[in-house]
Amino acid sequence: MSFRFAAAIALAAFALPAMAADQVEKAPPSGAYKKVSELVKLPDFLPGLGQLFVDPKTLPAGPFLAYDRDGRLVSTVYMLPVEDLSNKDKRFDDLAAPGGKVDHVDVYFNAGHPGVEKPHAHVVLWHVPKADESRVAAK
Amino acid sequence: MTLTRRHILRIGEGLVLAGLAQPHHPLADEPVEIRMQGNADGSHVWFDPVGLLIQPGRTIRWINLDPGNSHTATAYHPQNFEHPRRIPESARPWNSDYLLPNESFSVTLDVEGIYDFFCVPHEHAGMVGRIIVGHPVSPPADDANASGIPEAARLAFPSVEEIMNRGIVRRM
Repeated sequence: MSFRFAAAIALAAFALPAMAADQVEKAPPSGAYKKVSELVKLPDFLPGLGQLFVDPKTLPAGPFLAYDRDGRLVSTVYMLPVEDLSNKDKRFDDLAAPGGKVDHVDVYFNAGHPGVEKPHAHVVLWHVPKADESRVAAK
Repeated sequence: MTLTRRHILRIGEGLVLAGLAQPHHPLADEPVEIRMQGNADGSHVWFDPVGLLIQPGRTIRWINLDPGNSHTATAYHPQNFEHPRRIPESARPWNSDYLLPNESFSVTLDVEGIYDFFCVPHEHAGMVGRIIVGHPVSPPADDANASGIPEAARLAFPSVEEIMNRGIVRRM
């Protein structure tokens, strides 16, 4: 009897994170994520990135969840201000990574945009193969 | 269909509607175009041209041709985010607010002098520009009111001499 009870608790413990986790595979993601173009004045679809969603409480770093034109998750993006990266007292710890398996990673400089006005680095965790980056390319 | 928001502001004389031509070689009564541009990954953004010499009464039209970003054309003035004044004292400041791709904003400059402007989200990346109207008699603005301006922006202004000599200054 006690074994069954313990097993049930164990199963529940494994199941709980899945139940509580946000749905992110299809746009719009569940939870606290908001469409970036509704938070700040930016194009709804950014060539090279896609349609972005972010939990405003996590700005500026993110994660930003990026979707293609069919609403499929393609990448998770972190935006890290350059001045913070060169500040020895500043850290970015425990950033959420809800997008699952990562195929490859791009890191590049961005001059800024509404929402993250200062020059920063884009750290892009691609969840799709390199060839599928075209899903968020400019038309 | 592309939506285009159009703003027209006549500095010193209030709001005035004007023609909206898109000239490559503007005639005296046509707006002079300054393009807001950026490269594909957003690592570089700029005004083109970055420096311009015009006569009083000419209209400047900024247009966002960057498909992946929003930009502003904002005068250096305390009314705009408490920035230092870097336009003639008697001129009215302007702020386009964020322009999405293909949106535009126009201002007519009547007061002679030096006008410095910036893009709100990209000032730290050096996205600034300078317009000279007529024949300025005051010293270059960057000598007087440079405090509080990011270094990248301060270094990006073309000199008054360069603008006076060339008329149009491009840096792409």
